[in-house]
Amino acid sequence: MDYKEIVEAIAESLVTSGSTFRADKVRAYECAIERETDVNARWVLQTILENAIIAGERKSPLCDDTGIPHVLLDVGEDVSVDAGLLRAIEHGVALGLERLPGRPMAVKGEGEDRLGQTLGMYDEPSAVQMAPIALRERRGRGLTAHVLMFGGGPAIRGRSFRVFHKHDAANVERQIVEWAMEACDLLGCTPCTLAIGIGRSHYEAANLMLQAQVDGCYDEQTPLEQRITNAVNEHGKGVMGLGGCTSVLATFAKIGPARASGVRIVCLRPCCCFEPRIASVKLD
Amino acid sequence: MSSCSPASGLAPRILRMTGRVCNEAASKQADIMDGDQTLSAKRIIAPVADDTVLRDVRVGDRILVSGIVYAGRDAVLPKVCREFALGAAGLPKVDFHGAALMHTAVSCAGIGPTSSNKAEIEESFGPLLAMGIKVFLGKGALSKATVDALGRFGAIFAVVPPVTALLQDALKESHCLAFPELGMEAFYELHLERCPAVVAAAGGESMFEGL
Repeated sequence: MDYKEIVEAIAESLVTSGSTFRADKVRAYECAIERETDVNARWVLQTILENAIIAGERKSPLCDDTGIPHVLLDVGEDVSVDAGLLRAIEHGVALGLERLPGRPMAVKGEGEDRLGQTLGMYDEPSAVQMAPIALRERRGRGLTAHVLMFGGGPAIRGRSFRVFHKHDAANVERQIVEWAMEACDLLGCTPCTLAIGIGRSHYEAANLMLQAQVDGCYDEQTPLEQRITNAVNEHGKGVMGLGGCTSVLATFAKIGPARASGVRIVCLRPCCCFEPRIASVKLD
Repeated sequence: MSSCSPASGLAPRILRMTGRVCNEAASKQADIMDGDQTLSAKRIIAPVADDTVLRDVRVGDRILVSGIVYAGRDAVLPKVCREFALGAAGLPKVDFHGAALMHTAVSCAGIGPTSSNKAEIEESFGPLLAMGIKVFLGKGALSKATVDALGRFGAIFAVVPPVTALLQDALKESHCLAFPELGMEAFYELHLERCPAVVAAAGGESMFEGL
């Protein structure tokens, strides 16, 4: 692809990411609706699903918090990444934000003005900068870009922190369940999908949490992921805190390298009812 | 199509089983279809005319809110509490008695509830109750102190599903009332028709006990 084609492909992926559910997520919602016994919770699940259908048809935002763009590149053996490619992706993200449209929520100013949000906000959706691009090497050929949109609620309730495993994985699992229950109870927009990265540093764990959202699939849950989901649903407050048995739809966990240590670093993002908002596109 | 590819061709089945307002009589009841069953929803017209309107509203009730609904969130609500209460110069005259307020941004991306338990928003409940607001629309668990305050003032808090695409159809009109420099976080007046919500706090009771 040339520069213009990459820009267009990324822009369209961003719009798809912000406006549609993947097929496995639709199936997960259908299963949850079938299982749910609380009448209000069931109604909200149905409403969320209908919203996704309408947003997909209109190519309009699933949620007014359209999120912060994150891009992960899967780089094949025959691909070289250069500054021109990164510029094209950045350009495509800006174009996609104008088309969706993204919420104009970029804060003006620098340094402390930006921290305190004292100078107001930009009017243009494209002023929202994307997060630093992540990339990983993949066997085989070609280049795939995954575009994800991260909303604010999960960022408030997520965390990255150490866990003393005491040489028993069950201790890590127990701590994750405890954090997830607390997060789900306070997050407004459940059911969650729990995205978890476990690594050796906070940076690595956060990157693995991003990868977990890219690689995760609602149709395929590991025993660990299923146990976490079940444990949170057993004691959780249900859809939007209204009760019922659907605090969590699924868990996507990515366990990275470990160091010889009594500590694991866990990054947990309680993705909201629309997340992961993701679309993938081949750029070759 | 892989198992994790974008959805397609699924709409008809989904739409048949999801919520639609099918009958809205002149009374205060409306019906929402839910698959094979009909769910009752109470109609609330904002601003509410008097204290009796909300007397029969209970935790767990589904409601449909129509009429004028003010919109504000983190950045603007502290300003509204401070400057409207003082009658600061340059602000429009707004009668908040019986009013409804949604915790939302308003932008080209649409509307949708933000977490009502963020510090600046939850701290605004007390002053806004004192100014006369009776219906709060948002999401997230509130503290016991806030639930108690809502009860004392005969006000309610209802959770709105964060369904921006559907809420776009409920939003008939919007305009900025004050503090336009805050952009999407400015103070807005919305005209809504049948905005769906579930009552999460009323009469001093809530769904959040134990949190």
